[in-house]
This record gives sequence, C-alpha cells and structure tokens, in this order.
Amino acid sequence: MGKIRFLIGLWAAKMSIPVMRITGHNATNYPGQIAINICPDFLDHIGKPEHIISVTGTNGKTTVNNMIMDMFDAMGKKVLSNRAGSNTRTGITTALLKGANIWGKPKYDTAVFETDERSTLRIFPWVKPEYVLVTNLFRDSIMRNGHPEFIGDILTANIPRTSKLILNGDDLISVSISPENKRVYYGIDRLDTDLTECINLINDIRICPKCSGKLKYDYLRYHHIGRAHCEDCGFSSPEYDYAGRNIDYDKKTVTIADKNGSGVYSMVNDSIFNIYNMVAITALFREMGYPHEKIVEAMKHSKVVESRYKLVEENGVRIITQLAKEKNALAISRAFDYIKDVPGEKTVLLMMNCLYDEEHWSENTCWMYDCDFEFLNRDDIKEIVVSGPRARDYRLRLLFAGVPEEKIKLMPDELEGARRIDMKKGTAVCVFHGVDSFDLTQEVRKILVERAGKLEG
Amino acid sequence: MKIEVLYPEVCNLYGDLMNVEYLKRSLEASGVSDIEIIDTSLKSEPYFNAHDDADLIYLGTMTERSQELVLKALTPYKARISELIDNGRLFLITGNALELFGEYIQCDDGSKIECMGFFGTHAVRRMLERYNSLYVGKFGDMNIVGFKSQFTHSYGEFEGLFETVRGDGLSPETKSEGIKRNNFLATYIIGPLLVLNPPFTKHVMELMGVKEPKVAYEEAAMDVYEHRYSEFMEPTRGLTY
Repeated sequence: MGKIRFLIGLWAAKMSIPVMRITGHNATNYPGQIAINICPDFLDHIGKPEHIISVTGTNGKTTVNNMIMDMFDAMGKKVLSNRAGSNTRTGITTALLKGANIWGKPKYDTAVFETDERSTLRIFPWVKPEYVLVTNLFRDSIMRNGHPEFIGDILTANIPRTSKLILNGDDLISVSISPENKRVYYGIDRLDTDLTECINLINDIRICPKCSGKLKYDYLRYHHIGRAHCEDCGFSSPEYDYAGRNIDYDKKTVTIADKNGSGVYSMVNDSIFNIYNMVAITALFREMGYPHEKIVEAMKHSKVVESRYKLVEENGVRIITQLAKEKNALAISRAFDYIKDVPGEKTVLLMMNCLYDEEHWSENTCWMYDCDFEFLNRDDIKEIVVSGPRARDYRLRLLFAGVPEEKIKLMPDELEGARRIDMKKGTAVCVFHGVDSFDLTQEVRKILVERAGKLEG
Repeated sequence: MKIEVLYPEVCNLYGDLMNVEYLKRSLEASGVSDIEIIDTSLKSEPYFNAHDDADLIYLGTMTERSQELVLKALTPYKARISELIDNGRLFLITGNALELFGEYIQCDDGSKIECMGFFGTHAVRRMLERYNSLYVGKFGDMNIVGFKSQFTHSYGEFEGLFETVRGDGLSPETKSEGIKRNNFLATYIIGPLLVLNPPFTKHVMELMGVKEPKVAYEEAAMDVYEHRYSEFMEPTRGLTY
C-alpha cells in the first residue's frame, strides 16, 4: 500500500508540473506539497542521488548553493538542485521528484540542496547528506528562529551522524554543531581591518563554551565572527583546514590554502562575506577530491546575484537601493555598516518595514534595539527619512542612536518620502528596503531617478 | 545611583539591555547625576551580595542553556535575593529570566530544571512551539504595550504585574501577566519594554527615588507609545503570529 500511495503521489505531483507551468506558476514548491499530501512519507520512498550536499546557515546559503551549481555546470557535471525553488521540505521534495523517473528512481548521482535550518528536522531523517556546509549561524527572525543556539541545537539533533561537516571556524556557534561528526574548518586569516573588541550590539559568543569565562578575541570581524580564546581554561577557536589569506583587493584575488596545496582564486565579489563563501566552497570541492586548479577555473564561472544592491547614477546623483532584510537585526546592521563605504554626502530613506506582518498583526520591533542604527549617526549623512508603518519606531531608535532630531524627517508614506527626501548633485541617496518592499522600492527608485533628472545646476 | 545588570554577557537577547540604557538616559534627563551601571559577570560575585545600595537590579532574556548558567551563578545567593525581595529592593526582570525565580522549568523530555523557588510558578518549555504575540495590559491605570516571543508558558500561583487587556498572561490560562512582590517586577514581555512604555519607565524611576521623572526623547517615545497602543487595540489587529 505504501509503495502504491507513493507512486500515486509521485505521478500526481509530476502531472501537476506542466499544469502549473501552463497556468504561469513556477512549480518549484507545490508539486512537493501534493506528493506529501498524498503520501506523507514521500521523502522516505523517493529515490535520492548517491551524493547529497546540503548548504545551510543563517546568511549566504543561497549564494553558496548557486555558486556550487555554477561550478558544477562549468565542469560539465549534471547535478540536481532546488536552486529555483524553496529550501524547505516541499521545495526539496519537489526537486527530488523532478529528478526521479516515473518509478521514483533518481536520474542524478549528485544533488546540492540549499536547506532551511529549521526545516532540517523534517528533511534530514530521510535525505541524508554526505556533506553539510554551514555558512554561519547568527540571530535571525526573533519570532521564527529565537536565537542561534536554538538553531544550532536543531542542526545537531538532525544532521545525520554520517554527514561530514564543513564549518566556519571563525564562527564559534557553527563550530559547536554536531560535535561527534567528522568535520573540517574553513576561515580567513587575520586582516588589517580586524578589531579585537566588538563594536556591534549583537555578539552571541561572549563567553567560553567550556568554562563560561570571558572570551578574548584575537581578532574580530563583525559580531562574533573571528578567532577567540579563553584565558581561564585555554579553550580556543579551531585551526583552519582551509584558510583564505593574502587577499589582494587590487588584483581581486585570494589565496586559499590547505595542508596539501593552495590556489589563487579570483574574487567573485570583494565583500568579506563572499570571500568566506569562496573559502567554504573550496573546502567542499577539496573534500570531494577536486584539485585546486580545477576549482580555481570552475569558480571563475560562478556568479553572485546582486539583487540586494543596485546603483543608478542619474544627473550626478547616485541612487543606491540596498536590501536590509526586515526584522533581521544582524542583516540590517551589516547593510547599515556598508554606508561608511559610500563616499561623500548622502541622505538615507529607511523603508525596511515588514509589510507582510502589517497585513496580519504588527511588526515585532524588538530587533531595532539589537540593530546597529548607530552606524547611521554620521556627519556625512545629512538627512534620514523614516517611512512606512514603523516610521515612528525608526525615528525613536535614531534619536536613541544619537542622530540629531533635525536630521530626521517623518514620512509614513514611502512614495512621499521619495518625493521629499533631500537630493542634490554630487551626493548619494541610500534606500534601505526589505524583501516585502521590493516592488515598492522600484516605484521609489523611479521617483528618485525622475527627481534627479530634473535637478539643475 | 547604581544599577546592577546581572550577566549581560548572556542575558542580552532581543534588545533587552536597551532597557538599562534607556533608564540611564532618562535618569540623566531627570537631572540625576553619578549614575553607575555595574555589570556582574557569571564568574563574579553579584554586587548586591555585599552591598545595600543598588537602586535597581536588572536581569534580561537569555537562551535556554544560559538559564542554567545563570541559575548556577545565582543559586548560591538565594537567601540574599529572598531578603532583598522581602525588603522591597527594586528588581526588573524581563523575558524568560522570570522563570528562574519560580519553582522549576519542565523541559520537552519531561525533565525538570530546578529554579530558585521564590514564587509558586513553573514554566513548561516547548522548543518547537514558539509563542509570538502582541501584548496590551494595565498597570494600575497605565496602559502597557509590548511583544512576547518565547518557547514557554508559566503556570501556578502568583501575583501578576500587569492585568492583560489583549493577549495572554503568564500562560493562555490566565490574564495575569508577570510576577510582582513588593518591588520585584517581572514580565514575560521581551525587548525594549521601558523604551516602548514611557509612563512605566517613569514609575520605575519613581521607585528608584526620582521625584520628577522625565524620560529620554519623551515626545518621540510618547508618540510611539500612543500610536502602538491604538494599533494594538484595533479589534481586527491579529494578536498572535
């Protein structure tokens, strides 16, 4: 009966795919839902590729997943992925059923799945990755994820004991995952820009995981990312098996070394997050047995989609839209930190409201007091327009951050904010928006570009 | 004036520590000078143990493992804490920190973590059933607004801090929110409770001995407070996430 139900689920799901495409849907999630509705243990029955790689973590998993797929493509290897769809159980189920024949046998020998951390408990019992690559673990949505210790515990409870872990050695929360599993660590050697004290409000690793003594950071990049040791008990961050070093921003190269060799890699993007992603991916391919030369070549074909950041120059005004993922204090802090790299005078429009929440209840704004709004308290920021349903909350938080009251303009309507924000030639307008406000951001950008085009002098 | 912050290295989730910063700035706005914030770490003796001049003792939200670390750190001082509560020392306790002052925490697997037992409450943890809610309550005539986001509910006998208008109290079974005894003030509300509730902040400052309390950024804070209260009271506004 189980097998028959599985096949009915598989066929129904497969038949739904052309129907969904004809009706203009992506068919990246719903077919998996149909399969599970008909056969709740569908994931147990569906054939899986022999080699499965899971990419998980708080930030960067989509980028890493896509880069890995680009590299396999460049190597001419056909690999199954949930790249186009969701990273939850239904998305991975959809990918697996698409990658199977009508009897449920796998058509691929390798799969790469971006995996939502919380969803691992509904995926890993049946889909057992050979490698689990963890990008990092940070605070995320308060409502959904609570805190990173909780997410780390979910991963520890659900990652199969047979999986080999590829972990960020500069992230002591990731390091603590599944202590009995085989593992390798990757990281980036000390940089000139490193600190030894945290300047962020969020630092989730302040005490020694062994003895609770105060941790001392040998170097710290942002939040808890860096190398630390405990002066009380001698605990320290692990040594890297794969180290990024000799970062050359002029030549846009980074050397990635391990005990058996090294390669000089071209940066796909010069942000430190993406250098971490490069080192992580190199560690994965090295563990799979690929030589550096082949990885270096393949990585040249990988791309980082820059939908998070867009720069338009119009009549001497730089209009920058930057994704600052709503309700995520850490992601927004990272986005705010970016503003120091925008040269010259600028004005800022804050509109990263969680519009979805506003339809149902009211955004939980506690994240604002975990988030580094202090990074916006700069002399070269001449005005900050606060907009959307949480405009008043932004205003209060900015005052708390020390921003002078006269610099803050309250404009609950985002489009009106775009019409009223100060703008002049030779300066920048920086718009911070959320995922929910992608469409609204297009309208805001359009207004800003039109206004810039009419500037005289 | 002295404010002792217990274990800020781990009790710092959801922006809770900004309560202390807001209080400090509000005290400054009220003309209070010589404000000292005393951070007590897990490996040090609490200031309150050997001193009698802390005007407020604060403990904020933490992870579940940190709850056990904090219990280990505080339990040796149980008798002193009990004495301070009975003598009317001002405590402000937010989020799941309040559970440590009850009898025990019951975990998902049925095991129990023994707590300090000052109050007849116990918490029941459901790690995969996170509870998220907006909150509106009353403290006397004062409106209280805030957010809850937690893995637990608490049950048992206690005197509440707030009377719930919209939302749940310590559990869905009660409208009494938080725990109050003398000047021991504890609530499940997380994050910037004081920033979001200027009238309550003034009350806390009065309990600290400030005659004419003013809050920092008063106009903006009151605007946010009144706007949030109206919003949360809209009958069609969903309460749980």
